[in-house]
Amino acid sequence: MDTTSSATTVPAVMVMHADLASALLRAAEKVYGPIEGVRVLSNEGLSRLQLEEAIEKEVQGWMSGGLVLTDFWGGSCHTCGAAAQRKHGELIILTGINLPALLDYLHNRDRLSLTELAERLQTKGRESIRVQSSNP
Amino acid sequence: MSFALHRIDDRLIHGQVLVAWGSRLDPQRMWVVDDAVASSPWEKQLFADAAPGIGVQVLTVAEAIAAHAAEAVASGSTFLLVRDLATARRLHDGGVRVGSWNVGGLHYASGKTKVNEYVYLDEADRLDARALLTAGVALHVQDVPASKAMTLGALEPTVQP
Repeated sequence: MDTTSSATTVPAVMVMHADLASALLRAAEKVYGPIEGVRVLSNEGLSRLQLEEAIEKEVQGWMSGGLVLTDFWGGSCHTCGAAAQRKHGELIILTGINLPALLDYLHNRDRLSLTELAERLQTKGRESIRVQSSNP
Repeated sequence: MSFALHRIDDRLIHGQVLVAWGSRLDPQRMWVVDDAVASSPWEKQLFADAAPGIGVQVLTVAEAIAAHAAEAVASGSTFLLVRDLATARRLHDGGVRVGSWNVGGLHYASGKTKVNEYVYLDEADRLDARALLTAGVALHVQDVPASKAMTLGALEPTVQP
């Protein structure tokens, strides 16, 4: 498959607990530089319905789908993202997003397709968790 | 033992339930008692998948009323989750006896006023709370195990019988 054929940027919204999304984005800017086009949402103080509506508002203008980047599987950010996914079929939800995965998204959002990017970020996020043991 | 937690939380299964309460009480099963979710195959599957390693069942209120007594003496432990005070009251009126409900999250919506950072009530909620308290059912407001539990009546005197 040609992984360089995507001419458009895959959009993303980060939906996470408390201030994590904005903090992750701020941390990414320290490494990547100024970032445009990534939206952030917090679930703080929102019911399921309110969070679903907030996510839908963010993604409704995406004509070719996009990524909903969330913190952990089973949390409201994930399940409410899945509700938005049901209404806007081309969304992909990724859970467990960490800083390396976010940076990889930024480096590849202009050159990979939605599904290629999602698969890559899943791998990159997992591979980034490593153990540095002390010498015996 | 069974029923390690009866919780009122409009998010139903979510992070606090899985991570905070789940790590503390280690349930084998979760009951989501909600007529709306039970009528939606898609939402039932969403919640069934939301808690890896835990058996999630979505039941109507009627089904929960019928099955509660047997589950209460089943081996292992279960969380029972409802989205609002009205459902807790319907369970009580149907014969389900719960000594204490954990009030974990009733978020702001139009017409609701603030009790604390994660509990907002409208007049219908207050009526349901008062009915439960009058029946001797305790309502403890506590989002996660590490926070201090407060009685709803102490936080919101208007619900006192």
